[in-house]
Amino acid sequence: MTSIATAGASVTEQHAAIAGARPWQRLVLLAVGLLVALGLPWFVYPPVAMDIAAWALFAVALDLLLGYCGLLSFGHAAFWGGSAYVTGLIAIHLGVPFPVAVLGGALFAMILAVPIGYLSVKRSGIYFAMVTLAFAQMLFFIANQASSLTGGENGLQGVPRSFFGIEAVETDAFFFYYAALPIILLGMWAAWRIVHSPFGRVLVAIRDNAPRARALGYDVERYKLVAFVLSAGLSGLAGGVFALSHGFVALPELHWTTSGEVVLMTVLGGIGTLWGGVIGAGLIVMLADYLASSGFDGIGIVTGGVFVTVVLLFRRGIWGTARHLWLSRKG
Amino acid sequence: MNAVLQYTVQGLAAGSFYALAALGLAVIFGVLGVVNFAHGAFYMLGAVAAAVLLDTVGMSLWLALLVVPVLMLVFGMVIERLLVRWLLPLDPLYNLLLTFGLTLLLVDLVKRRYGVSGLPYERPAALDGRIQVAGIGLPVYQLFVIGVALLVCLGVWLLMSRTRVGMIVRAATERPELAGALGINVGRWVTPVFGFGVALAGLAGVLAAPFRAITAEMGSDFIIILFAVVVIGGLGSIVGAVTGGFLVGLVEAFGQAYAPTFAQVLIFVLMAVVVLARPAGLFGREEATA
Amino acid sequence: MNKRRTVAGASMLMAGVLVTAGCGAGGPSAGGGDFTDDKVVLALLNDASGVYKDVSGPNSKIAIQMAIDDYQKKYGDDAVVDKIEVTSADHQNEPDIANTKAQELYDREGADIILDVPTSSAALAVATQAKNKKKLYMNIGAGTTDLTGAQCNKYTFHYAYDTWMLANGTGTVVTEDGDKNWQLIYPDYAFGQDMVKSFTGAIEAGGGKVAGTVATPFPNDNFATYITKAGAAKPQVIGTMHAGGDLINLVKQFNDSGLKDKGVDLAVGLMFISDIHSLGVAAFEGTIFTDAWYWNFDDKSRAWADRYMEETGDRPTYAHAGNYSAAMQYLEAVQSAGTDDADKVVEELEGKKVDDMFLRNGEIRAEDHRVIHDVYLAKVKGPDDVKEDWDYEEIIKTIPAEEAFRPASESGCSM
Repeated sequence: MTSIATAGASVTEQHAAIAGARPWQRLVLLAVGLLVALGLPWFVYPPVAMDIAAWALFAVALDLLLGYCGLLSFGHAAFWGGSAYVTGLIAIHLGVPFPVAVLGGALFAMILAVPIGYLSVKRSGIYFAMVTLAFAQMLFFIANQASSLTGGENGLQGVPRSFFGIEAVETDAFFFYYAALPIILLGMWAAWRIVHSPFGRVLVAIRDNAPRARALGYDVERYKLVAFVLSAGLSGLAGGVFALSHGFVALPELHWTTSGEVVLMTVLGGIGTLWGGVIGAGLIVMLADYLASSGFDGIGIVTGGVFVTVVLLFRRGIWGTARHLWLSRKG
Repeated sequence: MNAVLQYTVQGLAAGSFYALAALGLAVIFGVLGVVNFAHGAFYMLGAVAAAVLLDTVGMSLWLALLVVPVLMLVFGMVIERLLVRWLLPLDPLYNLLLTFGLTLLLVDLVKRRYGVSGLPYERPAALDGRIQVAGIGLPVYQLFVIGVALLVCLGVWLLMSRTRVGMIVRAATERPELAGALGINVGRWVTPVFGFGVALAGLAGVLAAPFRAITAEMGSDFIIILFAVVVIGGLGSIVGAVTGGFLVGLVEAFGQAYAPTFAQVLIFVLMAVVVLARPAGLFGREEATA
Repeated sequence: MNKRRTVAGASMLMAGVLVTAGCGAGGPSAGGGDFTDDKVVLALLNDASGVYKDVSGPNSKIAIQMAIDDYQKKYGDDAVVDKIEVTSADHQNEPDIANTKAQELYDREGADIILDVPTSSAALAVATQAKNKKKLYMNIGAGTTDLTGAQCNKYTFHYAYDTWMLANGTGTVVTEDGDKNWQLIYPDYAFGQDMVKSFTGAIEAGGGKVAGTVATPFPNDNFATYITKAGAAKPQVIGTMHAGGDLINLVKQFNDSGLKDKGVDLAVGLMFISDIHSLGVAAFEGTIFTDAWYWNFDDKSRAWADRYMEETGDRPTYAHAGNYSAAMQYLEAVQSAGTDDADKVVEELEGKKVDDMFLRNGEIRAEDHRVIHDVYLAKVKGPDDVKEDWDYEEIIKTIPAEEAFRPASESGCSM
C-alpha cells in the first residue's frame, strides 16, 4: 500500500527539490512569498486577504499531518474553531492585546488535541479520518449546548481586537492585516522548521514504513501524537486570527464542513508540499468570495467538481505539479 | 415498562437505517478497501428518488423498495467504473477524498434540481396507524421498517454464507490475506459489490422517505453517525456493522429519553470507549500493522 | 480592484510609512453633497443557495426592485434622487461570508442600506458592521431578539418577526382558545431556549400551564422518542419551536405517533409558507402557527401578491413582502430627509407610524428599532379546502401590533 504522499510527491523528489534548489533560488522563492504576503491587501479586499492568510496557515498545519505523517484528519475544525472561541472569550473578558489572545487560543487547541490525538493515533489511515471527524462533531454539539459561554447559534458576537490603543489596527481591516501577519508567518516558519528538523525526518520515515521505524526503536504513536498536537496548535493560531479578523465566532467554525474545506484546500494545493496549501486556500477563499456576488448558487458543484478532477488526474496538486514539471525540466 | 417498549421500537427503527447503510459501507470496505464518504449522499439520493418517482409516475412505496435499490445499484456501478476504480491501487485515503468531493457535487446538484425545502412523500395507507401490543400503540411503519431491515440483513447474511459469491466476498472482507493466498480473483466482484453497497444505502433512504424530511442535506449528519457505527462495530465486519447500527439506534433512543441533553454526544462517547477498549471495534480484527 | 502603488507601496509600509490612502476604510460620507455618488444603493444580503433560498432568496431582489419602481412612479420628478440601484450577495448561510460581504457592500459597492440577512449569527455580525460603518441595516430574515435587545444599535432595524413574537402569538391565542395543558418540545439551542421562555410567559398569561418541556438536540432527524415522552404526560397541546427540516421531521413523526387521533393539537412557533408549498398541506393539516404576513389576507395584500406573481410566477412569502416594505419605507424616509445621510434617515424612521400592504398598524419603535405591526395566527388548511396554489392558510386571529411584540421596556436595548 503506497502511502498518501508517495503518490503525490515522493520524498526523494522533495529532497531533490530542496537539494537541487540552489540557495539563491530558495531566497528568490522566499522573497516572492513575502512580497505576495505583504502586497495581498493591495490587490484583494483586506478582510478577504486576512481570510486567505488564516486559511493558508490552517492548510499548512493540516499538511504537516497529512503530507508528513500520512494522517488525514477530518476533524481539524475542532482546533480551528476551539481556538477561535477561546481567543474570542479571552479578548472579550480580559482585554489583552490580540496576539496574547491568539496564543491563548492556540494553547487551548494543543491541550484539546492531546486526548483527541491519543485516541485517534491508535489507528491509522481510514480509521484515523473517521475518528477525528466524529470527535470534532462531538465538540460542535458541546459548543452548541454551552450557549451561555459560546452564544449558541447567535455566535460569540463583539470580539474586540485590542492593540495597545493603536486605533488604525483596531478598526481598519487593512492595518489589522499587517498587525496579524507576523502571527501567520511565525506559524508558517514553525511548520517549515518542524518538517526540516530531525523530528520531521522521523515522521516521514514512520509514514513510509511504520514497522521499520518501530524496529529502529522509535515510539511511533508518540511521534504521531506530538505531530498531531503541533498541527493543532498551528491550526489554533490560524483560527484565533480568523476570529479576531471577523470580530465574532459562530458555530460553523466547528462544523465538519470546515474540516472538509481545509482538506479541500490542502489537496488542491498539493499534499506533502507544505506551501501548496497556501495556494489552495487562496483559490478557495477567492472563489467563495467571487461566487457570493456572482449570482451563481452552486458553489458545491464548482468546488466538488474541481476537487474530484484534482484527486483523479492531478494528485500532486497545483504546487506539486508545478514543482514536478520544474524538476523534470531540469532532467 | 410501556415506555421502555416504545423506546426500544423507536431505537430499533432508527437503528434500521443505520444498520442497512452501515452494511453497505462494510461490504464496500471489505472488498475494495474504500471508505465511501458519499454513502450519506447515496442514502439521500434513495429518498429523493422515491419521492420523485411517486410524484412523476405515482410509484408506491412497495414498488419503490424494489426499483430504487436497483437504480442505485446501477448508479453505484457507474460511479465505480468512472471514478473509484482509478484510485484503487493507491492509498485508500484518495478514495475517501474522492467520495468527499462527490458528496459536495451530488448534494448541490440535488439542491439545484429539487430545491431546498424538501420533497413531499405519502406512504401507503396500509402502513399508517398503530398496532396494539401489551396495551400500547406501536406505529405500524416503525415495525415495518424494522421488519424490512431484519429481512434484508438476514438475506445478505444468507447470501454471504450460502453462496459462492458470498464466500468470495466474505473471504475478501474478513480475511483478505487468505483470499489472496487461495488464489480467489476478487477483482471481478469489485464493481457489482460497490453497486450493492450503494443499493443498500439507497434502500435505507427509501425506508426513511415517509419518516424523515427529504432534503438535499439529509445525508450530511447521517454519514457522521454512520462512521461512528462502523468504528464501533469494526470496519471489516458484516456482523459488526449491523449490530453497531442497531446498538447506536438504541443508544440514541434511550439517550433521548433519559438524558436528552447528551443524546447526540452519547454516541461519540460510546465510540471513544470502544476505541479505547477495543481499537478494532467490537467485531473487528486487529490490523496487521498500524 | 485598487491597484495603487503595489510593490512600492508595500516596501514603503515595510519602511514604516503608513499610507493613509483610506484603503478599505469606509469613512462617513462627505457631508457636501446630499447623496453619496449621486445615487442610492440598496443591497440585498441573504441566502441564495441554502435552506432559506425558497423563503426569501433571489426573489427578494425582485421585490426590492418593485419598491424602487413604485417609489419612482409615486414621486416622478419630485423624487429627491434619480438614480436608485439594487445589488445583492449570497451569504450561503455562512456568517463569515455574510460579515465580509456586508463590509464590502458598505465600503465598495456604496450600499446605503443592507436588507434581509437570515441566520441569527450572520444577522448579528452584520448589525455590528452597520454600527461600525454608520450605515443602515434592516433585518427581515432572522429571528433573534438580540437584534433589538442586547446587541441593538442606532443603524439596525428589525422587521417582520422575532422569536418572542412567534412564541407569544401561538402561546397566547391557543391557550385562550381552551388548550390549557402544554408540553413543549424545543431544539436545545439559544433560539429554542428563548422560545421556551416566551412561550411559557404567554401561556401562563393566558391562564394555561406548561406541564413539561423536552429538549432535543439540533439538528436532529429522529423525534419519535421525544414525542412519546411529551405525549405520555397527556397534554392538550404540544408546542414546538423547530424550523425547516427539523420541523418537517417532527411533524411527520408526530403524525405517526397517534397523538393527533387522541385530540392532541400541535402548535408551531415558526413555519414558512414555502415549506408548506414544497411538502403539501396534507403533511401539516391543522397545524397552528404565527405568521408575520399572509398574501391572501385581504385585497390589499392580494393585489400586491398578484403583481409579484406576474414578476416571479410564484406567490410571495412574508420575506418577499417584508423586503418590499422595508425598501419602500427606507426610500420614503430618504425622500423626507432629502439625503441618504444615515443619521438623518434614521431620524426620519424613528417613531414613524406606517400602514402599508405589509405593515398593518405599523410603527418603527424609536426605543429599540423593533418594527411592530399586526401579526396573524394561522391554521394550515386541509387538502379539500385549498382553492388555488399557495392558498394554504386560514387566518384564525389577528394579534394587534401593540400586543404582538416584546414591549420596548423589556428589550434591554440601549442605543
